[in-house]
Amino acid sequence: MTFPTIADASRDLAARKVSPVELAQSCLDRIAALDGTLNAFIKVTPDRAMADARAAEQRQMSGTARGKLDGIPIGHKDIYGTAGIATTAHSKLLQDWVPDTDATTVRLLHEAGTVMLGKLATHEFAFGGPSFDLPWPPARNPWDPDHFTSGSSSGTGAAVAAGLILGGTGSDTGGSIRGPAALCGIVGIKPTYGLCSRAGILPLAFSLDHAGPLAWTVEDCAMLLQAMAGHDPQDPASVDRAVPNYTAGLGDGVRGVRVGIVRNWHERDRPVSSATQAGIDRAAAVWRDAGAIVSDVELPSLLDFQAANFVILTAEAYSLHEPWMRERFHDYGERLRSRMVFGGLFAASDYIQAQRFRRELCAATSEASRDVDILLTAGAPAEAPRIDNVPKFDGLQQPGFTAPMNQTGWPAMGVPAGFGEGGLPVGVQICAKPFGEALLFRAAQVLEHAMGERSKRPALAC
Amino acid sequence: MPAKLPQHDFAALIHRAGLELPSAEIEELYAAWENIEPMLDRIRGRATRPREAEPATIFQPEDLA
Repeated sequence: MTFPTIADASRDLAARKVSPVELAQSCLDRIAALDGTLNAFIKVTPDRAMADARAAEQRQMSGTARGKLDGIPIGHKDIYGTAGIATTAHSKLLQDWVPDTDATTVRLLHEAGTVMLGKLATHEFAFGGPSFDLPWPPARNPWDPDHFTSGSSSGTGAAVAAGLILGGTGSDTGGSIRGPAALCGIVGIKPTYGLCSRAGILPLAFSLDHAGPLAWTVEDCAMLLQAMAGHDPQDPASVDRAVPNYTAGLGDGVRGVRVGIVRNWHERDRPVSSATQAGIDRAAAVWRDAGAIVSDVELPSLLDFQAANFVILTAEAYSLHEPWMRERFHDYGERLRSRMVFGGLFAASDYIQAQRFRRELCAATSEASRDVDILLTAGAPAEAPRIDNVPKFDGLQQPGFTAPMNQTGWPAMGVPAGFGEGGLPVGVQICAKPFGEALLFRAAQVLEHAMGERSKRPALAC
Repeated sequence: MPAKLPQHDFAALIHRAGLELPSAEIEELYAAWENIEPMLDRIRGRATRPREAEPATIFQPEDLA
């Protein structure tokens, strides 16, 4: 049980081969051994974990287990509000803030029986990082701790990859779930906008924020999303529609599924590394061999999406942080304040023009994708850079691959696609039409089984 | 490409936003501004954008009820 997946652990718990308390303790032991190197946790909550585990054990013994997630140890990104437990956003400004209530998704995962191990590192307020001038250090990549995890769900990415947690929560405003998935060699899904409640999660940019899970496997992600999804009147963007069974179609393959490769993004707008390109090519070949119909689609330029995303994100974020930006500017980390400040410099008309542009980009994406079911491109341009070599204005200098689906609100997943020359993971990104999560999971699992190398874990964690 | 906005005008934008920053910090932000001007050109410079093109944030009344 060194590295159980959620699905494995769930089966073992049901068969009473392991108890929830034993499972939680094994994770706490791994955290004690490894987190001094990885900095994945802002706060470990062993008392809460053992209380949750004992309650799960009681349910197990009395035949009242709540389902497949009952007794599964997880962690929450530290922008997810947790009642009675500090929620810091990895920032000096909130280091003593203790919410009264759980975020809706925290509550849902608790009600599903999960065991909370603690709160996980993030880029400051899910935007500024990696930073070395905050009250806590940045999370480090378990595949090589000298390297970056990507962000902003950096602690979740590191903790899942190292087996400190079996799964965890993240948020994604421009790629903050899919980036760590790519660089940490794990699976993460940004669901359709409105599928998972944002209520109780510290916002970054209202019209771009998505909540979603990260885990080691596609099936594990599907299990977590099953618990997190659903209508919430507390979130005005929440969609009121039935949540399908995300694991029911796993194993059904991709025969007849139409795949569009977005070559203009990863071959022209921002050419990717040879390893990432090889991963994309192999993914297309795997799907083709499995009966999918693979073609090319051309979507609007990444530079167009980058422009709209940057203006909308920073303007919305600045509107939230304006009082503190004016009064406590230097209490923010250097990276956050240096990025967010631009949102205070734009004219109101710039924001509106960006939202008009966004609607045009969404329409063009929809039209170009009319004859495909899934899009395939890069999750990140290459392997993780060294953590001390991430440019402060990285997102300004070159466009990323993930922001487009924050604009459209379409679901998108990061899926492992092998390793680069430096031995670090690379990943692909696959996207579907709104509420196409079940199809994404099916298609991702085909890739995972053919090319994911899921038996290989970071050496540090073995 | 150097920013089109003169540095003193950029500093005025910072001031208008209510921020009082050291000059070294303003200089560094101004250097980054050269990456942002092309983004603003992209979102503003759509000569073909129809007058009636709506923003993505338009809502239906029941959404706010």
